[in-house]
Amino acid sequence: MAEITEVSKQKSMSFSDRQKDIIQKFAALGSLFVLIAVFSLTSSAFFTVNNGMTIALQVTSIALLGIGATCVIITGGIDLSVGSVLALSGVVAALAVKDFGTPVWLGMLVGILTGTVCGFINGLLVTKMRLPPFIATLGMMMIARGVALQITGARAVSGLGESFGELGNGSFLRIVNIGDDGFPTIVFPGIPYPVILMVAIALAVSFMLNRSVLGRHIYAVGSNPDAARLSGVNVTRIVSFTYVLSGTLAGLTGCVLMSRLVTAQPNEGVMYELDAIASAVIGGTSLMGGVGTISGTAIGAFVIGILRNGLNMNGVSAFTQQIIIGLVILVTVWIDQLRNRR
Amino acid sequence: MENRPAEFRPNTAAIAAGRTMPASGSGPLLRLDNISKEFPGVKALSNVHFDLRRGEVHAVCGENGAGKSTLMKIISGVYQPSSGTILYKGEERHFSSTRESEAAGIAIIHQELNLVPHLSVAENIYLAREPRRGFLGGGFLVDRRKLRADAKRCLDRLGVDINPDRPVRGLSVAQCQMVEIAKALSLDAEVLIMDEPTSSLTEQETRLLFKVIRDLKASGVGIVYISHRLDEMAEIVDRVTVLRDGRYISTDDFAATSIDAIVSRMVGRSLEEKFPDRTSTPSDEIIFSAEGLTRAGVFKDISFTLRRGEILGFAGLMGAGRTEVARAVFGADPLDTGTVTLHGKTLVITSPRDAIAAGIAYLSEDRKAQGLAIKMPVDANMTLANMAAVSNRFGLIDFAKQTKAAKDYVSLLNIRTPSIKQPVRLLSGGNQQKIIIGKWLFRKSKVLFFDEPTRGIDVGAKLAIYRLMDELAAGGVGVVLISSELPEILGMTDRVAVFHQGRITGVLETRKTTQEEIMRYASGYARPAE
Repeated sequence: MAEITEVSKQKSMSFSDRQKDIIQKFAALGSLFVLIAVFSLTSSAFFTVNNGMTIALQVTSIALLGIGATCVIITGGIDLSVGSVLALSGVVAALAVKDFGTPVWLGMLVGILTGTVCGFINGLLVTKMRLPPFIATLGMMMIARGVALQITGARAVSGLGESFGELGNGSFLRIVNIGDDGFPTIVFPGIPYPVILMVAIALAVSFMLNRSVLGRHIYAVGSNPDAARLSGVNVTRIVSFTYVLSGTLAGLTGCVLMSRLVTAQPNEGVMYELDAIASAVIGGTSLMGGVGTISGTAIGAFVIGILRNGLNMNGVSAFTQQIIIGLVILVTVWIDQLRNRR
Repeated sequence: MENRPAEFRPNTAAIAAGRTMPASGSGPLLRLDNISKEFPGVKALSNVHFDLRRGEVHAVCGENGAGKSTLMKIISGVYQPSSGTILYKGEERHFSSTRESEAAGIAIIHQELNLVPHLSVAENIYLAREPRRGFLGGGFLVDRRKLRADAKRCLDRLGVDINPDRPVRGLSVAQCQMVEIAKALSLDAEVLIMDEPTSSLTEQETRLLFKVIRDLKASGVGIVYISHRLDEMAEIVDRVTVLRDGRYISTDDFAATSIDAIVSRMVGRSLEEKFPDRTSTPSDEIIFSAEGLTRAGVFKDISFTLRRGEILGFAGLMGAGRTEVARAVFGADPLDTGTVTLHGKTLVITSPRDAIAAGIAYLSEDRKAQGLAIKMPVDANMTLANMAAVSNRFGLIDFAKQTKAAKDYVSLLNIRTPSIKQPVRLLSGGNQQKIIIGKWLFRKSKVLFFDEPTRGIDVGAKLAIYRLMDELAAGGVGVVLISSELPEILGMTDRVAVFHQGRITGVLETRKTTQEEIMRYASGYARPAE
């Protein structure tokens, strides 16, 4: 009898749990649709293929960083260094091409690997030296920025040649008709390479988290590191991996951003880490660890991106935009807290 | 601390003197009638009665989920009853928060103690009620001298010797409990609710706690006492109320009833046996042995063997080194010297992964902190230690295999869960423990260390876990049972290794020994003949 009531109690709890989960998912997704609807009504230029691609392109950097941030946060950590690491990586890629004459692809690979190394060092600091992730990555944030400024003399690296801009500016399936008068008309703007990169990486990391043993271990470490260790999970390696992933994605983001500008800016990406963390958090990732999804983070990144774009189109000032995005973060996390409180 | 019995009698008077006795003093101190509490979809309590007199210890018994903690939360104002009345000192009261109930003189000491580790004992006792002293006309500053003196007075009343300036961090669980009681006294509490106060105390510490409880009784405090340890109750409990499935079953004078009667009311059926008959008999074949295990300052020269079909007990007081030895064998803590042999093979273990690969499992005493990934569902927890069996060579999870494994062990172990996707934090303690056992069964472990496997688990689930241990032993798995409950050691093991201060002082044949003999070895009076 005791067991029957217990089970029925659990059943009703799990049901409402599932309902709340759905509500949460739809709340984020729903607010995304509401945003789109409102901005479409207020601005005729908003709901167009061109603007859609622009938003997608703007969102790529937040989303790529957010994917790394999500993995780190699921393990119960935090990575504050990605904004600086992306600047260092982009600068290294540009200098490799400009000063050492490497081919663009090799230069960018070196740039991405720079991010990997930064992530690896973060991982060492957190696991081997047992520094709190906040402190370890705060240090890396300052160091990477400092190095980026140092090696460029705080000047932008320009004159990189057209091929350096291909990754950031090129697109797939771009259809252009040359008219009789000789002027080109754009039939379809194409899907920008960064967007393809973002989608591919989001799918790959999502697959990794949901389907692989590695992903299972990431959640287990975040849910309870002691239990994970006592179950034979290599906690050190799992935690290090998430920082390496985050650093690598920061390196990639850096290369994409610098390629779009065809200029490497050592001051690029300031505060981007906070956008990345915000997108993860809006998407339901818990800073307590153990909870988070890539789909949620993608929604979070689009909420931020669409808000910025739509508010811009409606002539809302940058300051007001900050206030609104700040409020959105507070409200979504508050909803999340309501969901978890019991 | 434990050698100062002489100080207790005068303190009784001191406590009594510091309290205003009621003018009437006839009716019950606290009386709950027809209390019901509904949560969405669940009736946690229905028509429960409870009353508490001055100067009595009133035990509340029931299995997990019987409604004990809901009732306590209603008394202390955490929850408000859906219906029913609460009379406190003859007046009908509605407490809407613990702050209100505390102000009225009702204090609760939770099983998980609520102290701030980095603050001192005195600061903890008066947390959020610090004596103030003026500064530029306002009470901005803490009056440290008064704080310290007041705290000292509270501790002295209890007759415990704890320096009020010490940080709580370094105190033992028993000392922390005394600080909590001192805090309750400082609130002038007339009702004190104690939830499982002895669950992590040693025998000696329990004695001291009981002494303090008797003094509080003598001074007129009414104590609500919740415990799974029925055997201890005879010493202090006056009356006992039994709850089952959120319903009121009975209230009796403790002297007029028996533990068997209480247990059968708790479970709703007569429980013929606390322990199952052992079906396995140990053979002579040694499957596991440890030789000269030493970790400086923790344990020294520990050797033991485990035979096929045998359950070996680790007995001893808390802190004697039983858990530490098991954790070291499992690779969770370092080992200075010593060898471990399993099925004739000497093992090199430097991490839990090595131990698991060799077939050794350790079921932690602290399920939530060390045993389970509590946010994850049943199936993920069940397979966590053996992901290789549910994934392919590319490291991708085979969900069909995972589901099958989880379902197999849920039904094999009779785990009560609405689905294998249920997060384990929503399951009862007994079912959580079964999931941990299932995890190690799925790993095909050859030796299992059970560390306090039945702590905080209700009677029915205990029996199921004992049966499982017996079946494991019968199936050729080596079982080590670490337990602080001697009846459990006597009821389940074949041999028992008794620990005292980091050493094994004796290995006894369970059939030929007694509780008294084990205690002699555990307290260091009896030593091995060398």
